Amino acid sequence: MSHAHSSRIQQHIGDPVSDSPALDRDKLEEIFQDIQADIRYDHELNGCLNCGICTATCPAAHYYDFSPREIVQLLWTENLEGIYDAMQEKIWACAQCYTCAARCPFENSPGGLIMLMREAAIKHGMESAKNVLRPFSRVMLKLISTGNQLSPDMITADGFPDWGPNISKIDAPLKVLRQAIPVPTLNTTKTAWEVNLTTSVELYTIWEETGVLDQLETIDENLYDVILDIMDEKREDLEDWEDEQED
Amino acid sequence: MAKPILIVGGGPAGLAAAHSLATFGQACLLVEKEDRLGGAPILEGYAKLVPSGEWAKDAIGGMVSRVEEAELVNVLTSTTVTSFTGETGNFTVELSNGDHVEVSASILCTGFTHFDSANKPEWGFGTYQDVVTTTQVEQMISSGNGVRCLSDGRKPKRVAILLCVGSRDRQIGREWCSKICCTVSANLAMEIREELPDCHVYIYYMDILTFGLLETKYYWRSQEEFKVKYIKARIAEVTARDGKLIVKGEDTLVKRPITIPFDLVVHAIGMDPNRDNGKISSLFGVDLEPNGFLDQASSYSSSGMTNRSGVFIAGAATGPETIDDSIAQGKAAAMAALEQRQVAARLVG
Amino acid sequence: MNTENPNNGNGNGERFTGHGAEWRDANLSPEDARTATAWVEQVINKRSMETNKDRVEDVRDIMWQLEKEGEIVVHRINDEHAPRVAKTIYGWDKKVPTQQLWHHKSCGQCGNIPGYPASLLWLMNEMDIKYLDETDQTSCTAWNYHGSGIGNIQSLAAVFLRNFHQAYVSARAQGLPDGYYYPLVHCGTSFGNYKEVRAYLLHSAKLREQVKRILGKLGRLVDGKLLIPEEIVHYSEWVHMMRGDIAERQTIDVSAIRATIHPACHVYKMVPQDAIYDDSILGGNRVAVSTGIMEALGTQVIDYSTWYDCCGFGFRHIISEREFTRSFSIDRKIRVAVEEAHADVMIGHDTGCITTLDKNQWIGKAAGKGYNLPVLADVQFAAMACGAHPYKIVQTHWHATATETLMEKIGIDWQAKKVEFESYLKEVEAGRFESLYDPRLAITSGPGFQALKKVENA
Repeated sequence: MSHAHSSRIQQHIGDPVSDSPALDRDKLEEIFQDIQADIRYDHELNGCLNCGICTATCPAAHYYDFSPREIVQLLWTENLEGIYDAMQEKIWACAQCYTCAARCPFENSPGGLIMLMREAAIKHGMESAKNVLRPFSRVMLKLISTGNQLSPDMITADGFPDWGPNISKIDAPLKVLRQAIPVPTLNTTKTAWEVNLTTSVELYTIWEETGVLDQLETIDENLYDVILDIMDEKREDLEDWEDEQED
Repeated sequence: MAKPILIVGGGPAGLAAAHSLATFGQACLLVEKEDRLGGAPILEGYAKLVPSGEWAKDAIGGMVSRVEEAELVNVLTSTTVTSFTGETGNFTVELSNGDHVEVSASILCTGFTHFDSANKPEWGFGTYQDVVTTTQVEQMISSGNGVRCLSDGRKPKRVAILLCVGSRDRQIGREWCSKICCTVSANLAMEIREELPDCHVYIYYMDILTFGLLETKYYWRSQEEFKVKYIKARIAEVTARDGKLIVKGEDTLVKRPITIPFDLVVHAIGMDPNRDNGKISSLFGVDLEPNGFLDQASSYSSSGMTNRSGVFIAGAATGPETIDDSIAQGKAAAMAALEQRQVAARLVG
Repeated sequence: MNTENPNNGNGNGERFTGHGAEWRDANLSPEDARTATAWVEQVINKRSMETNKDRVEDVRDIMWQLEKEGEIVVHRINDEHAPRVAKTIYGWDKKVPTQQLWHHKSCGQCGNIPGYPASLLWLMNEMDIKYLDETDQTSCTAWNYHGSGIGNIQSLAAVFLRNFHQAYVSARAQGLPDGYYYPLVHCGTSFGNYKEVRAYLLHSAKLREQVKRILGKLGRLVDGKLLIPEEIVHYSEWVHMMRGDIAERQTIDVSAIRATIHPACHVYKMVPQDAIYDDSILGGNRVAVSTGIMEALGTQVIDYSTWYDCCGFGFRHIISEREFTRSFSIDRKIRVAVEEAHADVMIGHDTGCITTLDKNQWIGKAAGKGYNLPVLADVQFAAMACGAHPYKIVQTHWHATATETLMEKIGIDWQAKKVEFESYLKEVEAGRFESLYDPRLAITSGPGFQALKKVENA
């Protein structure tokens, strides 16, 4: 991308090195408008004193080329190219701990702004979002289809080799171990707790009505198809059960 | 003889007002809730004042004795006002000692309260002994004991002064600049460097507001002559390890978070509204501005006016203020009260 | 102070010399000098907390106003919920219900730290606390949201309102009135997320309108209005308010234990004005939950220099940026707790932190950082100290770290307990398993629902 017209701020604060392709101004503005249109934007960005307390306290800033202060400055100065650059990689470094928001003397929420940028990256089907989210697809599948985000059978020694050999220190089939939890709703393996069928179906309505399924379709079409199938199936199951009740 | 004018608060503003009024033959009643006059510079044991460089004890002490010696000033310490009724020219004051006094006007010089650093627990005050406030460092110097770590009395080798503690911080509802802390901190930094030439002093700031002539005398001089280091960063947290304080900040030059060890961390505490302002407001029928300081009426026709005729204000009661300006405001409020007296006399005459 | 300082010269005419020729005596009398210095040396034991609601907004004020205007219904904490009042960081009151609680579970806890909710329920049984643990609830969806960006403010708000509405009406299944059970949120991220979402709902008429339409479709309005909870309450707050009652039931001496606390970001840094502080706990200088119960049980709570740091969970990071998660977790938390604080245990109060701090120590060996510091939730430690079975109830076998060494230090024969549990597993296999409550209560409507009239908790 061309830096001929880049602003002074970008030269000094933005990332001067980028391989990202040139993008026309309209597209950059559209992305920024999407970020700005969220009702949270004006609560999360009030100004910036450039004091750096957010970066000082940021865990991700310790490990990545990432600074919440830089993100806030890009948004505050409406540096559209800088914002787009940051959306390629940097916004995914944030660990979402919100320590920045708890510290900022202006009561900005850099972590919250990052979420608006992530949502925009997804909406615009950015490659960065797709790459970054691929390993997350199992969580999304579980969540959207059941209303749980994690299940016991997802945590295996193969899936998490770095967690060591003992997922459970007592060797027994997962099913038995789960049955031995004295909380009846937890005697499950495919969901963290047993979720009522009606509950899952209610959740589908929320996904549809809030545009979450559209987000999913943009980012991962295969996952989207799989989830739609599951949703249809569960809705049919519920309808069958309802018919039975009437009989 | 004309009724006296009530002055509430015996700090720099109140002392200045009393002196001016007495000089013009106006009797005053100076009521101070503490057991002595002098206000924060004396009560809290300030060292050298900004920008004169004079010791608080000498400079403000001189103002105190001048007022104590003035025949027209009736000083009542350890006394508060319990009721204030009437109207311009005819107010009745009830005092905590049970006395009732008729006064023609009142000047509120009720000052401020220092920010209590306990409200920012992440900066370690109250948790670590070696996290102190600018007021405490003033006292270390004025008491003659010198700047030392409170934990073991050692001379600090590295001192961090954190600016804007209790100022410019929406997290705790204090958006104002306390006006004096940058200059006071630069001054203390130089004093520390004078006393402890081997000690490194760092000032962590968001902006440096050493306004007007203070720029050269404090901000520049502290760097050129005293090698005080200024770092644009707001500290996130102060913790401790192996007897050292650990300060977490951002090196804004390279945009990286860093942790730095210090022996002593100083909070440059800001100026809060006097914690009695709620009471003062209802007692005297004067408005508070949104931050909780006493509200000042437009100053174009006369200085130090409030929403209530006959009740004037001066000094840090109206918002963060320097000692010199508090003194000027005390005189201005005295002048405003005299103007009002003059107008009233003409009407009667 | 200054006993060894030769320059300290009160009275001996010798002063520190750094001020040069212009230095002048402050003329303080010895008494005045002492007074000034005494103030300096004084241990700070006051906490004025003069940050009142005129200064920092309390969204609850908006909530009451909206209720008055007929815009929303507030799920109140009533006397029947036996509330106890806590103080938040600015000295505001927060009502914490202690009775008739609806367990809003955490997917991460239920998924891989099941002893976390089991310990909580066990403690409630011990104290005759009425509660409901049911299947009609979804996760808050915020882990996924913060990790992936899939979701938005409307979906988060709708999920929040749906779950809290269900809590409100759940007692109907037992023939009890609406509002009988009050939601108790297990997960720190749910807690932080719900508080943030509630604030946006109270601020934005547009958001309320958007979600009201959805909640209406789901039949989840009360008198045609959105239902907003009076307080959003984290389980750690319940534990904190009940710490005295819990300590009364303690059977194991834990005074030898050096505990480090990891406070969870989403518990006290999100909507920080709602976090509980207590003058009697670390001088009110740090968030009170977890430290409160650990002190009540008699452990030594040890300070450490990275107390404020995040655990490194990162939502997405624990799945796909594990190098970050494990580095941060080991270097910034575990290493410090072990080497600096010489801790026997790391105690937390949130799902993601417990998982991160517990699971990421094993891999440290590869980098020569072979730490094995037991990690438990406050409520697991409390249950254990009150005699809960370390495997059957506290479910310590799901913890990767050396919970066994902790048990040895407090005199629990874990090997014997393990044998007991293994033989219990045989019973389980044979279909004989125990439950903390009547399992029929867990389904309140829909498939599997059995109408039980006013069933009491098991």
